[in-house]
Amino acid sequence: MESLDLNASVKSDVTVSRSSSLIANFKLDEDIDAETKDLFIVVDDPEKHTSTLESYITFRVTTKTNRSEFEGCELSVRRRYNDFLWLRQRLEESYCTHLVPPLPAKHSLKRLDRFSNEFLRIRQAALQKFLTRLADHPVLSFDRNLHVFLTAKAWEFQSHKKQGSGILSRVTDSLHNMGASYMMKNRPPEFVIMHDYTQTFGEKLGVMDRISQRILKEATDYLTEINEWAPCFTLWANSEDNLKPTLLAMSKTVEDCAKELKDMLDCTDDNFAQPLKEYVLYTEAVKGVLRRRDAMQMEYDMIVEELGKKKEEREQLTQQMDMLNDRMVVANADLKADMDRWHINKQRDMKDIFLNMADRNIQYYEKCLEKWEAMVCNIQVKEEKQETSVVTEDGLIVSNST
Amino acid sequence: MADEENSPDYCPEKITPELNDVHADKSKIANKANLLQWMEITVSEPEKRTNASMKMQDTFIVYLIETRVTDENMKGFNDGATSLWRRYSEFELLRNYLEIMYPTIVIPPLPEKKASYTWQNAATDKFDPEFIERRRAALEVFLLRVAAHSILSKDKIFLGFMQQDAGWKDTVYNTDFQSKADSKLKAISASFRLKKPDRFEEVKNYANELQANISNLLKIRARMADKLYGIHKVHGNYARVFGEWSCIEKDMAEPLQSAGHYMDVLSSSIDPMLEEEEHFADQLKEYLAFGDALRSVCRKYECVQYDLEKAEDTLSSKAKERDMLVQGKPAGAFSITGMKSKIFGSDTPEQRDLKIKQLEEQIKQAEIDVKQATQETQLHVQSALKDIERFQRQKVKDLHDIFTNYAIMQIKQCKKGIAIWTSAKDCFAKI
Repeated sequence: MESLDLNASVKSDVTVSRSSSLIANFKLDEDIDAETKDLFIVVDDPEKHTSTLESYITFRVTTKTNRSEFEGCELSVRRRYNDFLWLRQRLEESYCTHLVPPLPAKHSLKRLDRFSNEFLRIRQAALQKFLTRLADHPVLSFDRNLHVFLTAKAWEFQSHKKQGSGILSRVTDSLHNMGASYMMKNRPPEFVIMHDYTQTFGEKLGVMDRISQRILKEATDYLTEINEWAPCFTLWANSEDNLKPTLLAMSKTVEDCAKELKDMLDCTDDNFAQPLKEYVLYTEAVKGVLRRRDAMQMEYDMIVEELGKKKEEREQLTQQMDMLNDRMVVANADLKADMDRWHINKQRDMKDIFLNMADRNIQYYEKCLEKWEAMVCNIQVKEEKQETSVVTEDGLIVSNST
Repeated sequence: MADEENSPDYCPEKITPELNDVHADKSKIANKANLLQWMEITVSEPEKRTNASMKMQDTFIVYLIETRVTDENMKGFNDGATSLWRRYSEFELLRNYLEIMYPTIVIPPLPEKKASYTWQNAATDKFDPEFIERRRAALEVFLLRVAAHSILSKDKIFLGFMQQDAGWKDTVYNTDFQSKADSKLKAISASFRLKKPDRFEEVKNYANELQANISNLLKIRARMADKLYGIHKVHGNYARVFGEWSCIEKDMAEPLQSAGHYMDVLSSSIDPMLEEEEHFADQLKEYLAFGDALRSVCRKYECVQYDLEKAEDTLSSKAKERDMLVQGKPAGAFSITGMKSKIFGSDTPEQRDLKIKQLEEQIKQAEIDVKQATQETQLHVQSALKDIERFQRQKVKDLHDIFTNYAIMQIKQCKKGIAIWTSAKDCFAKI
């Protein structure tokens, strides 16, 4: 445990020193991804379990690695959402100054049935993201609890979970945190910036999330209308002879476009709305870490204050102060390193998210364009045919009258 | 708008279309299938006017109607354009006149009086420039359609509408078309009394179906426009968030800001799009109104048919009466004649002969009436069916064009969407 922590601070120092230029950083980060990544985790295959008391879903968690602490290079276990929750809590307790990635909310906002395929698909993606972020983290990926989570057999895991409550300490901790953030006065400027940034970024994400929800709603309504529009043309075609091909072509094209829209909406939810939500949660996690850092600083500041008051206990307190100061320095370094990493990730993720949105829209319009062009070609060919038939019809009329 | 009819001699109302003196070049005109071949017609420059002399303020829009002779062989060539102002109510008068005078023709409809099938941001106020412009376009289409019709285009009142500035209204009222309109009242109830409503039943059903289908399309289109408008406008909110967000970023600031700009572009691109779509809706609305015109032709047929059936009834009842008298029985067991003969005694043979003779004459007259009514009906049916056929051909062509244009419009919109999103993508790529 100790050695791991040491290892972590060394590693994070490296990252700090790297943050001179973001572009260089970005490249380095990708290099790390490609070469030094040695832990791959896949979440898939949701399975429903029904017992007398409750029913729940487990996911298969498969780990591929050549790290020495794992026995064998490929392991597979089944875990349920509560297990993930437990893991995250333990991580947050053990590394209160590290940024632990978020888990999806327990309940879906859309009030989806928690056994429905859509809900499971979204949750699986979110859990996957959670574990991938953990695996990429230079400190968290070496955690003992994560190791247990990835490797332990079901019964082993259950007994491990029961060891050490952790919850009590968490409660007091969070109470402590609550006050700290409000009372904080002499935060170092870099953390003031960080604090303000997360605050604003969180707000903006919230607004974007609402906008995307609104668009999704409007677009879904639009889809309903389009789906009603297509049959109108088919119905009309029934009472027209000469216009039938044109009307049917209209109906078909409108229907095709509706399908494209549906595809786009589904993809937008997966690739835009859900990642955006994850970042809302992620930002919350950042705020949590900042709060905990503030708490530590509080404690330190209090001791410094006390030091001034009680000179007689000086020796003892100096020791304590030094200890706390050390802790503070380590915490600050950890947090800064994590934040730097988080910023790089965020920039890359946001880029992906928006590129994806633009791509989806372009694709949608291109597909619709294709359909409409096909329709124009289609009915123009038919028109030519029809024109010839009209001519012969007129010819018949003329011959009858003469 | 081309018209394939060219039989100038069928006109059941026996109104020989006299042309204005300016263009009384009959032999040449007779060679022309319709007015559009030698005349250019435009409706332009809508203008707001207020009639202040009245107690009630009367504000209305007038439209400038210009005509120009385009064929050098026709009189009036080189005379330049004639122009005059007309308001919507005068168009209405013209159409009412045409509808009554030409009962077998599917008269082109006028634009709707009040905006229907609208969506939240469509112009509905009758003085809104956009609404007026759309009405102007539709009024022009109306005039062009009438001018393209082989029979209607030769009507004197119609020509006067475009060229006779002073006193045109009086000329219209002098044709006494309104007295004919009174017989329309009969038409309203005629369909309920008709014995054999056949041939035109199909047309009537078709008109109903056409209207139901188009009104369905329009209703849903309006709702779609609402939603599409919403989608685009909500995207505009991204512009604001990107702008605010860019303030707290270093490297991402610029791309975010320019991406925000394109979100603004996207949001405002919907306005011209939907304006253009409104034109599509107007074209469909014209055919919605054509449904009424079709039904009106059917109603007029019912009227003629009703007259025929009435004449036939008279004939058969007279014939029955005569037969009874010849056989020496009083007409009808409980008829008034029967009662009379019981009370006053039977007619003398002389009286009976006189009565039979009278009846014979009445029957002859009735036979002539029936013959005439039959002929009239046949003529009516013939010309009405012919014009309906013309209408159908026109309709197939027009609707085909309308939908093709709709598809082309969609293509244009898709391209615009691609362009905007590609620009936005370029911005995102720089993040």
